[in-house]
Amino acid sequence: MKILVPVKRVIDFNVKVRVKSDGSGVELANVKMSMNPFDEISIEEAIRLKESGKATEIVVVSIGPQQAQETLRTGLAMGADRGILIKTDQTIEPLAVAKILKAVVEEEKPELVILGKQAIDDDCNQTGQMLSAMLGWSQGTFASNIDVGEGTLDVTREVDGGLETVQIKLPAIVTTDLRLNEPRYASLPNIMKAKRKPIDVKLAEDFGVDLTPRLTVLGTVEPPVRKAGVIVNSVKELVSKLRDEAGVL
Amino acid sequence: MSLSKQLIQKLISITGSTHAYTDLQEQISFLEEPRNKFFGKTPLVLQPGCTGEVAAILRLANENNIGVVPQGGNTGLTGGQVPDNTNTQVILNLSRMNKIRDINPQNNSVTAEAGVVLATLQATAEEVDRLFPLSLGSQGSCQIGGNLSTNAGGTSVLAYGNTRDLVLGIEVVLANGTIINQLGTLRKDNTGYDLKHLFIGAEGTLGIITAATLKLYPRPKSIYTAFVGLDNPDKALKFFNIAKNDAGSMLTAFELLPVIGLEFSLRHLDGSRDPLTCKHPWYVLLELSISTGSVDGALLIESIFERAFAQDLLNDAVLAGSIEQSRQFWALRHGLSEVQRAEGGSIKHDISVAVSDIPEFLERALKAVEKAIPDCRPCPFGHMGDGNLHFNISQPVEADKAEFLARWEEINSLVHNIVIEMNGSISAEHGIGQLKREILKQAKDPASLRLMHILKKSLDPNGIMNPGKVL
Repeated sequence: MKILVPVKRVIDFNVKVRVKSDGSGVELANVKMSMNPFDEISIEEAIRLKESGKATEIVVVSIGPQQAQETLRTGLAMGADRGILIKTDQTIEPLAVAKILKAVVEEEKPELVILGKQAIDDDCNQTGQMLSAMLGWSQGTFASNIDVGEGTLDVTREVDGGLETVQIKLPAIVTTDLRLNEPRYASLPNIMKAKRKPIDVKLAEDFGVDLTPRLTVLGTVEPPVRKAGVIVNSVKELVSKLRDEAGVL
Repeated sequence: MSLSKQLIQKLISITGSTHAYTDLQEQISFLEEPRNKFFGKTPLVLQPGCTGEVAAILRLANENNIGVVPQGGNTGLTGGQVPDNTNTQVILNLSRMNKIRDINPQNNSVTAEAGVVLATLQATAEEVDRLFPLSLGSQGSCQIGGNLSTNAGGTSVLAYGNTRDLVLGIEVVLANGTIINQLGTLRKDNTGYDLKHLFIGAEGTLGIITAATLKLYPRPKSIYTAFVGLDNPDKALKFFNIAKNDAGSMLTAFELLPVIGLEFSLRHLDGSRDPLTCKHPWYVLLELSISTGSVDGALLIESIFERAFAQDLLNDAVLAGSIEQSRQFWALRHGLSEVQRAEGGSIKHDISVAVSDIPEFLERALKAVEKAIPDCRPCPFGHMGDGNLHFNISQPVEADKAEFLARWEEINSLVHNIVIEMNGSISAEHGIGQLKREILKQAKDPASLRLMHILKKSLDPNGIMNPGKVL
């Protein structure tokens, strides 16, 4: 079974995001970028399936600027076999991403596509579902466990009330949730070996997909700053502050 | 001298009663120190809110010959920040003086009061896109005043130096209440004796540092953190030299830890996991910080590792792919002080030798302690790149803790004798405090000790400044 894993280069989860001074977006200059954490989980799951003999090849694909190649290298160092970089410098919304991925799927013919349930930059949570609909493939979203059967997958999903296990037919789309696994670290010997693994570079424009964003960003603002608290000396003072200043009593 | 009720009242009136503690229950957090080795008593804990109040307290204490113990975050490891058990020394805790007075990214400087918590200062610098490099395990609680008074080291000394090297100026209150304001932002100032250095590392025995102007640095554009498994300290030393030669000042950390240290961390730190797929006898945590755009950090780190692997120095290594992974590596290292506590008694040393002597020191010292206590579990770890190790020895499994700790002095002198023979230091970064007063007399040459006494006598003739510490 061949597995395709799309990965996205995003602002590192631990970076304090700052709004650009003109409010047109967030500051990306000199900001630490990493692989979207959910995509790391996707790669880890694909590698585990390969290690247990259930998968034969893992292809990682990224749509983004030239630097997204670093993200692909990380995936290759973790254990993916080859990479595809689809270059573009513009913002690509989930619909266009799904359309490009559909073309990649048609060319690569994987049996399984494992995607992160969402990217932590735009939090859209759309690409996997759209790709599933366009391909007419079954989908198992928010996976916290995957069992491979004969032509089927048992996917345990994290839903509001708890866990739900669905059986879906291959070929399929799976989107990963946090508890699926804990991704491995990339070892330096593997990072060096990964440099020799092939990465195909293509241009997003060549896919015949309309990349124009459908959304217009009106503005970007910092969340309101929380005011510092005060320490009160007595219950009486507390009550009076709640009543007179906060107006909640 | 013991304190009269009247004098206590006078002292309290300086800070106001809400910032003074006379009740033992309220004093506990100021009296208990991290290693539970010293149990002091005090009639009074004072938390002054400004330099003027510190001066007023010292003036009054000096007139009445009352000992004053300055204290910051109470994280010191040699008992320098707690009083003795005579119930005659007042604790002067600086936590309330926690203002950042000024931050100037153009001059790369920040003026902070003594009570500013180190982590807060780091975050404040980050807000203006600068780095305050001092970094240590207790950074969430320790305070700048304490860092200065102990000339704290930590994990970034390799590239940025000790706390002393990060200081442009200080404000200090002398025993008689005189305020010396040297809060300059100058990088060059050769006008006589450089007085600030007298008070930095003096552990509050010459005066109380109330504020300091500190250096800021460019924030690294990218940081590479690697966790490395290898066979022995000798290979670690060779690896260090490859990394240092290739990366120069971009090598910002080179920490050594033994497999037992990793095992302690994995056992006692929530959510920790072994970064490598199997165990190795020793580990190195290496960090490169790249602050210029013209250096390709990924290429640099790969070339270092390529050479080290080619010379058969390393068994395995992983590179953090995100800040989170880097934190996970550092947690294993920073957690070491804490996790040793969960393994029973631990006899501690804070030594330094020449970096090139680390393998020899480890061989000799390990042999000596293992001969003295056959089943003991040595856990020597630390700042290999600075030649500084925390040569700690955990008790044998299921041994009696008190019985083991009773051999503290004996083991100390075994280890310290080796250190002194190798021209090393018996206190690399923790200071002298109460813990190492006696050893200092043997380790320091008599002429230097005499000069220290002369300085102490002239700045603090009544001996009220942190009595019973250092000298």
